[in-house]
Amino acid sequence: MTISRRTFTVGSAGTLGLAAHGLLKPAFAQSEPVKIGWLAALTGPSSAPAVGFNRGVMYAVESINAAGGVKGRKIELTTRDTQGDPTKAVNATQEMISAAKVHAIWGPTNSGEALATTPLMARAKMPNLHPCVVDSLIDTGKFPNAFRMAPSNTQWDDAVRNYALKILKAKKVAVIGDTTGYGTAAAKASVEACKKDGAEVVYTAQIDATQPDMTPDMLRMKNAGAEAIISWSTSTGMAARLFNARAGLNWDVPFVGHPSLGSGEVGTLIEKPANWEKVYTINYRSCSFDADGKLPARTQEFLDKSAGKIDLKDTLLWWVVSGVDVINLLAKAVETTGSTDSEGIIKYLNGLNKYPGLFGSYTWTPTEHNGYPTDEIVMGLANSSKSGALKLAPGY
Amino acid sequence: MAFGATLASILSTGLAMGAIYALIGITYNVMYSTSRVMSFTAGQLGMLGGVLGALFTLRLGMPLLVGFALTLLCCAVVGMVTEFVAVRPVLASLDQHLYVLSTLALALIIQQVTAIEWSTEPQAFPRLFGIGSGALDEKFWLPVVACAMTMGALEWMQRKTLVGRAFLAVAEDNFAARALGLPERNLRIASYALAGAIGGIAGYAGGELMLAFFANGAFLNFYGFVPVALGGLGNNRGAIVGGVALGIFQQAANFLVGGIFASVAVFVVFIVVLLAVPQGLFGTSTARRV
Repeated sequence: MTISRRTFTVGSAGTLGLAAHGLLKPAFAQSEPVKIGWLAALTGPSSAPAVGFNRGVMYAVESINAAGGVKGRKIELTTRDTQGDPTKAVNATQEMISAAKVHAIWGPTNSGEALATTPLMARAKMPNLHPCVVDSLIDTGKFPNAFRMAPSNTQWDDAVRNYALKILKAKKVAVIGDTTGYGTAAAKASVEACKKDGAEVVYTAQIDATQPDMTPDMLRMKNAGAEAIISWSTSTGMAARLFNARAGLNWDVPFVGHPSLGSGEVGTLIEKPANWEKVYTINYRSCSFDADGKLPARTQEFLDKSAGKIDLKDTLLWWVVSGVDVINLLAKAVETTGSTDSEGIIKYLNGLNKYPGLFGSYTWTPTEHNGYPTDEIVMGLANSSKSGALKLAPGY
Repeated sequence: MAFGATLASILSTGLAMGAIYALIGITYNVMYSTSRVMSFTAGQLGMLGGVLGALFTLRLGMPLLVGFALTLLCCAVVGMVTEFVAVRPVLASLDQHLYVLSTLALALIIQQVTAIEWSTEPQAFPRLFGIGSGALDEKFWLPVVACAMTMGALEWMQRKTLVGRAFLAVAEDNFAARALGLPERNLRIASYALAGAIGGIAGYAGGELMLAFFANGAFLNFYGFVPVALGGLGNNRGAIVGGVALGIFQQAANFLVGGIFASVAVFVVFIVVLLAVPQGLFGTSTARRV
């Protein structure tokens, strides 16, 4: 057969066209692993959440790979310990995008790091799921690739305020934060929202978390007539000292606020167990024991299945199950779209409507990337932790 | 809360914190006396006293006395390491103040290693004797007793023992002391070990109040320096008066203005005092030979 110049030109153009549409991708592309980057602050300050997430992530990866992978493709995890440091997180992100060439990134887990990495991932159009609460991290205009799979700070604030004002029926509240950027910003937003809802904010302060005695602040709140204290701090030491000072004043005002109020470490720092009563902390329906002491069926089923494989003694259940959800979600995206193409994964996530995860039912659209439903955020009894889950606070 | 109870709270917490600050101030002074170096590891030694005390007694379950002795021993070793690593190499260029960088770097290393190996969250410190409650709880009076005993022991050592007099000689004029045959280098190492132990006592005695927390190091570095400046560099009695005054004023400011404004109030007073008496309340300005 002779090949004319015209035949050669037409043939070449057709081949190039097919290649551009991905139909002639080499066979190894369909058998290469699904590469997921995991930016985890596994050591250093604020490492507790990532340690919990990591247990869920490892469990899910091992389970999927043991079952044959995603359409025969194994999941390959590239984990980098960012130590909560934005610079390290940026370097790890660059490495994942340029060198490891991952197909999606989970994390980082701290808002400070995410503020630095999110624009980078947006430029690379890298599908990114993260659990960071700072509101500005989700912006479908600037970061169409970023999806939040935990509540935003506004959602937390709504849940806390609603509990204090509507269920505890407090009319006068004290709002406190620590002196960190997060504590200051969260307390300020909380004060404004409380006032908008008609509550009287009788006391507000930024408290130095290292202050050894919290009696002065507690006394001022008591004298101001606070009926509930809303606390925005990640410091477990500050929480324990506040509870001890409350007991010293023989005051039984309820505390409502940040999940750190229910951290197991608080239990080791309080002077007596009774000091931890009447403390209500942010929790989730999926990780809450009801009045009969039962977890939701989906969560219980997971716990039964994973019994002995995941250590839940020193972590929170919601961290673990959201780690599992992320891996399952990305695996599902690859399975459904049949590809690890970033556009395909983003399109898949944008179309999810009440995806039944273990942690919650996620819904994302092209214009809304806050995927966690507010009505699944509840308050839990801070001192009731068992297997990382809490009892529902009274009133639900 | 009645006025009496508020006053009791100011006095109990203020005296306790004041005693801890004073002990850290003495730690600074003891290191300074033989080397003319302000070592910024002083606060970290206090932090280690709390962390190691909790480690030996709570985590490893050792008896109190053994845990206490091991804590002091470890802190003394860290004090000696400070002399070898951060002080000796820069003594030749003392006038360039390189020790600020070297001791701060070592302090940072100690803090970060503790954060990684221990915890980034405050951990419980054991209840030592279980004596007292309310304003008379042991967590308030233990630091005061520890401070008084340490000061008494230091005074006794300096007045009654040969080593103590040798320390004073080196502190007064290390060239003359060396010329008289005193082992200046060994005395300096010993003074750093002693300073380490005193820092450890501060952290251990204040552990119930401050908890075993890696961030206490920076906090104590900062507030422990104030009594030194107020009381006069090298003056231990001045450090005690300065420390106690700082503790009580700080706690009173916590009640009166609260939160971060209390720190502002403390440092306004600190600056005003230093402007009025630059050499410190009990310091003496030395005449310079020309």
